[in-house]
Amino acid sequence: MKYLKIIVLVVVVFASTHCSNDFLDKAPLDTINTSNYPTNEQELITLVNGVYQPLQWPKLYNLRMWTSDIMAGNSIVGAGGGSDGIETQDMSNFVTSTDNQGVLDIWRGPWPGILRANIVLSVTPGMTIGENIKKRSMGEAYFLRAHYYFILVRYFGDLPLITSPQSSDSELYPERVSKDKIYQQIISDLEKAAVLLPNKSEYSGSDVGRANKGAALGELAEVYHTLGNNWQKVVDLTTEVEGLGFALNANYSDNFNPATENSVESLFEVQYAKDGGYSFWSNENQASWTSPFMGPRGSNFVGGGYGWNQPTQEFINSYEANDSRKAVSILYAGGPTFDGKTYNATYSTTGYNVRKFLVPLSGSSSYDNSPLNFPILRFSNILLMKAEALNELGQSVQALVPLNKVRNRAGLPNVALGLSKEAFRDVVLKERRVELAFEGQRWFDLIRVDNGQYALDFLHSIGKTNASSKHLLFPIPQIERDRNPKLTQNPGY
Amino acid sequence: MIFLVTPFLMMAQDGKIKLSGKVLDETNAPLPGANVQLKNSSKSLTTDAEGKFTFSVSEANGVFIVSYVGYKSKEVRILGESFMEIKLEQEATTLNTVVVGYGQVKLKDLTGSISTVKLADLSRQPVANIGEAIQGRAAGVQVISSGQPGTNPTFRIRGTGTIGNNDPLIVVDGMPLNGGLNQVNMNDVESLQVLKDASSTAIYGARGSNGVVIITTKRGTVGKSSVTFDVSTGISEATEMLQVLNASQFAALHNEILNNAGLTPNPEFVNPSSLGIGTNWVDAFFKTGFQNNYTFSYMTGNDKSKVYTSINVFDQKGIILNTGYKRYILQFNSDTKISDNLKFGNSLKLNYDVKNSGDFNIQNALLSLPTQPIYREDGDFSGPIGQPIYSGDLDNPIGKATIVENSTKGYNIQGNIFGELTILKDFKFKTLLGAEANFWKTRTWAPSYSWDNKVSQNAYLAESSNQAITLLWDNTLTYQKKFDNGISVTGVVGTSAQENKFEYINGSIQNFPSENTQTLNNGIDQATLHGSGSEWAIFSTFARANFDYKSKYYATATVRRDGSSRFGEGNKYGTFPSGSLAWRISNEGFFKSKTINDLKMRLGYGITGNQEIGNYSFSSNYNTYLYNFNGTYVSAAVPTVLPNSNVKWESQEQFNIGVDASLFDERVKVTVDAYVKNTNDMLVPQSVPVTSGYSDIYVPYINAGKIQNKGIELVLNTKNIQKGKFLWTSDFVFSMNRNEVIDLNGDAPLITGGLGLNYNVSRIQEGYPVNVFYGFVQDGIFQTQTEINNHAVQVEGTSSSNSTSPGDVRYKDLNNDGLITDIDRTFIGNPNPDFAGSLNNTLSYGDFSFSFYLQGVYGNDIFNANRLYTEAMSITTNQSAAVLDRWTAPGTSNSIPRAVYGDPNNNNRASSRYIEDGSYLRIKNITLSYNIPVDFPGKKIFDYAKVYLSGQNLYTFTNYTGFDPEVSSNGIDNNVYPLTRTVSLGLNVGF
Repeated sequence: MKYLKIIVLVVVVFASTHCSNDFLDKAPLDTINTSNYPTNEQELITLVNGVYQPLQWPKLYNLRMWTSDIMAGNSIVGAGGGSDGIETQDMSNFVTSTDNQGVLDIWRGPWPGILRANIVLSVTPGMTIGENIKKRSMGEAYFLRAHYYFILVRYFGDLPLITSPQSSDSELYPERVSKDKIYQQIISDLEKAAVLLPNKSEYSGSDVGRANKGAALGELAEVYHTLGNNWQKVVDLTTEVEGLGFALNANYSDNFNPATENSVESLFEVQYAKDGGYSFWSNENQASWTSPFMGPRGSNFVGGGYGWNQPTQEFINSYEANDSRKAVSILYAGGPTFDGKTYNATYSTTGYNVRKFLVPLSGSSSYDNSPLNFPILRFSNILLMKAEALNELGQSVQALVPLNKVRNRAGLPNVALGLSKEAFRDVVLKERRVELAFEGQRWFDLIRVDNGQYALDFLHSIGKTNASSKHLLFPIPQIERDRNPKLTQNPGY
Repeated sequence: MIFLVTPFLMMAQDGKIKLSGKVLDETNAPLPGANVQLKNSSKSLTTDAEGKFTFSVSEANGVFIVSYVGYKSKEVRILGESFMEIKLEQEATTLNTVVVGYGQVKLKDLTGSISTVKLADLSRQPVANIGEAIQGRAAGVQVISSGQPGTNPTFRIRGTGTIGNNDPLIVVDGMPLNGGLNQVNMNDVESLQVLKDASSTAIYGARGSNGVVIITTKRGTVGKSSVTFDVSTGISEATEMLQVLNASQFAALHNEILNNAGLTPNPEFVNPSSLGIGTNWVDAFFKTGFQNNYTFSYMTGNDKSKVYTSINVFDQKGIILNTGYKRYILQFNSDTKISDNLKFGNSLKLNYDVKNSGDFNIQNALLSLPTQPIYREDGDFSGPIGQPIYSGDLDNPIGKATIVENSTKGYNIQGNIFGELTILKDFKFKTLLGAEANFWKTRTWAPSYSWDNKVSQNAYLAESSNQAITLLWDNTLTYQKKFDNGISVTGVVGTSAQENKFEYINGSIQNFPSENTQTLNNGIDQATLHGSGSEWAIFSTFARANFDYKSKYYATATVRRDGSSRFGEGNKYGTFPSGSLAWRISNEGFFKSKTINDLKMRLGYGITGNQEIGNYSFSSNYNTYLYNFNGTYVSAAVPTVLPNSNVKWESQEQFNIGVDASLFDERVKVTVDAYVKNTNDMLVPQSVPVTSGYSDIYVPYINAGKIQNKGIELVLNTKNIQKGKFLWTSDFVFSMNRNEVIDLNGDAPLITGGLGLNYNVSRIQEGYPVNVFYGFVQDGIFQTQTEINNHAVQVEGTSSSNSTSPGDVRYKDLNNDGLITDIDRTFIGNPNPDFAGSLNNTLSYGDFSFSFYLQGVYGNDIFNANRLYTEAMSITTNQSAAVLDRWTAPGTSNSIPRAVYGDPNNNNRASSRYIEDGSYLRIKNITLSYNIPVDFPGKKIFDYAKVYLSGQNLYTFTNYTGFDPEVSSNGIDNNVYPLTRTVSLGLNVGF
């Protein structure tokens, strides 16, 4: 009996002291463990999809990217008045401080995209999957990484250059390298992307909207166009894009219609879908905010209607007579009705609202479900870049061809021959201002021309006397410099 | 009563007679250090190491009183014997044996710092939860309760040790409790101990650093059968009610608010005094609460088996409209002896509870306009009519509290079965299998309503179903031996394995065609569906050894090795050692005090851990979100949080020194403890830069912080008067704790105390206590424009409606730069009390007993966030009566600013304006009880019958202007459900 007790004891003690090692291995149930992912094409594609996602955020195209038009003087914040949108008001009045919440928001937008692109670029080469998806995924990652850096370098200047995924063992506190190096990386990434990506025409169904060869080449043209030191490259690249099957839509308004998204004129746009939902703080899949934010306040034209981005009189005056784009882009007293409703100038402080992105209630019943995509690169931009580049090369006659195509589509007559280089440049810039109004392009045009002097001259001319050369770049957010003292500040802040 | 007597030899020597004897304990072992006193004289001595004594007396008659701590004193008549053996009986076990982790220790042999709470009187307090009953009763244990029915209180043992989870481990009948203390019926509890220092808690390893509360429920007693019935019924109300303005006062204020901003006042308020009193929303919102508590139990025991069963029903209606709590508990404990060496037992608790409430918002009840009636003429609830600037914009708080249905139903089972085998006489092997299952369902039904301006078009229903299952398997081998040379040894070696899995599913839907059908199937729009789960596991081995030499020298050593699924790969296992020593000075030969009966000194040091660091902090994950292309949804896998695979437990080292003494024939018992607790490797948020690509808001935690707590605890129990039928005892408890954040891994403070968008009132910063308040410093009110001009610039503008003007708050310019900016903020208060104390006096005379319990804290500050809304005077809401003293002209006030719409000077910013002294002294409980005489001639029906009247939170002395100074552990009063004053009548009957 005694021995039986001891045997039982020993068995129980043995069993209880030798719990298997698996007992203590618990992994989260609702997230994916990075150590064994991705293992196949499907899983890789979900990682690639994640690289696109920051584009959708309010930190980027859903809010901050288009508010740069306010900073560029095309419009005012408007909204509820008072301190509504104060961070954007401060930016547009050039009293931006290092703790401006809008600047911090923009800073937070691209870096997650860069991390996700780096992850894709590091895991894809080692996978045994079909060549098509492999090349396409690498191409998408290169394109998006270049795109995110392109946004950052134009707003902030010198940046840390990060080309591999970060972990807690990495150098988490890097220094800034000169923007020339950043541009070299962007160019190299876009060149690789242009080779790896398929043509837009090769996409179908739910792949339409992915990065494509035309987008990579077009963006590369944009980079050289911004740098302004190799106009021939711009001409070559835009000509190559022309050969890929893009064309202008018959109507300007087709570019901003949920029914005609990802059209023949679109090289690359941010995708939005109907039931994304609205959440100011969320980073998840979003619906578009352009309609609710730019809808006239108190008008019931659209779901939401917060009255942001009210065009100034000075901007309205830049439309030539009979420019059919005015009625598409702007809501003004005496203009065509919207969804059967008449516009009243009292809806806005300036007397005008943006019409371009508004979706009628039948398409978007409330503030949180506008499905309208946001244009990043359109074919008309390609044509205007070509025109500007040809002019800079002294070929003003050839430059008229693409320019006039854009103007004719807007119902405007051809530009006269015999303009000087400077005068022609002004014409192109003015055309860009009107054609690409409220698409977040104007600020970048202002700061690139004449090394930014063009911006200061223009801003002073519309009364923003505070604007000085330091304002051509945003300050590095103070909170980020507190975390990483190696980040130097931009001059003047 | 057993005492053995052997013949006495008279020995005459100098006229003196020598009497000798030997004192034994209940196991017939000698009891050294026992006190032998000649009754009615001051002569006394203590027994030697063999329990022997020799007394010289002048006459051969008289009485000795033999006593020892933890034992019943015995009077022994001298009957002309020369040598007596006197065997002492232990005192009632609850006070004598202390349950420590995986074992029991006699109170006299304790080497660590453990508080024992006497439960007999506590069950008469009209509280729902045993946690509330022990408030103030154990030194160093801070209990913060909320008045909301069905909530569990918060414990802080020896200060706030971490910025993470501070909850102590609660062990019930040997099993760590996963659900809350609501599952335990106070009447079922036999003993409650709080382990405070590392030498006691180290046996719980990575779960011991916040302290351990050990609860043991009643089990049967051998040779005793009884049936008991306890019933009590009580009513309650808020301890303090706030005064708000009536209709005419409000109208006058509102006119002023608008006029001062250049806006047109409400035409309906042109004659404020004609509006009279108006609606009293507060009165309609708060009601009298009720509670009923019934417990029925039976127990029996013989030398083969013991059984205890009880059933408890608790029903409470809260003091806020439509809030309530109902609870049913069934407890079943049994012990069965199969043979001399083998015993089995079980403890089982079944519990069902329901919390229900409407959508209640205390601030809205204070802010609703007195000029608006609660109901309209058609009987429906009212809402604002017309422009919000005149009629406000609040949903009718009575309406919301009435029509919305929130309920949480919980079904809990906690039980274990154990077997104990005695081997080779001195070894005991015990194995315990335990399981806890918690199931709870929540439901929110919000019907549609149309209350004038305030319309909710669609009804809304949300439901959730949750479950958590925890399994436990403990094995221990205990060795206990008392050697003849006076050394006692107890050793425990054991393993413990515990596993938990939590799962939930929830859904919601809106828009019901008929609001009579209220299930998820009937809704139409915006369906949501979520569900997930998580799990954790712990595996540990531990050992403890106790040495005791003649009850004079003690040494204890413990060590525990914990492996937890929460720790990263490199840190899966942690080791937690501790040691303590104790010295019973009063047993030493050189110790000859007559007044001090027992004096023991304790010293302990140990390392414990805190593993409440989240279940998966170490893992590296992608979250899945949706994205879309061309309108079609696709999934996206995204990294969000920078992974920290090195995360491990927080560790804490504690050093404790203590003295236990009993004096004056054990009429005075004193315990003093002093401790220093250092939390190292505290988890603090990592500073992650945005350039890493990971979120800089959802950051990982790294083990890099340090917090220190040090303090002193004092407990004094005295028997002041014990004469005949009259007894007066006092218990005094005092604790003092100082808390400081030593290191946060960088100079940047952590901003806490968030009250909404970008409004934070506290910080965690190096060199300061945890959650210290941080804000501007108010320096009175500007009386004239000249004063504004002479002071640093606050808000500039063009008129009194958009700039700093006379009547606005003046803030101190701390850096003297002429501008009031965010830099002019500093530390404005500390929510941690300087000290806490309580005093309980019990007087009893025969069958009557009266106890009076005072409890208080001192030195803590409260941020009264309710005043942000009730004293804003800047929008259209009702305000507290305090604003009747607002500034209206120079010299009218130097503390409450002017009323002006829009608050251009931001008088509402986080500043010392809202910091109040939270010190209070409370008459916490008064209980009057009477033992009904039960000795009927002939037949004895009852064993005992006691009737009592008890009042809880009867009166509070405090300068705090809010509802009640007991707010949350971070000292912020933001819509906190106030504590209640309860009076109850009860009856305890035993058969």
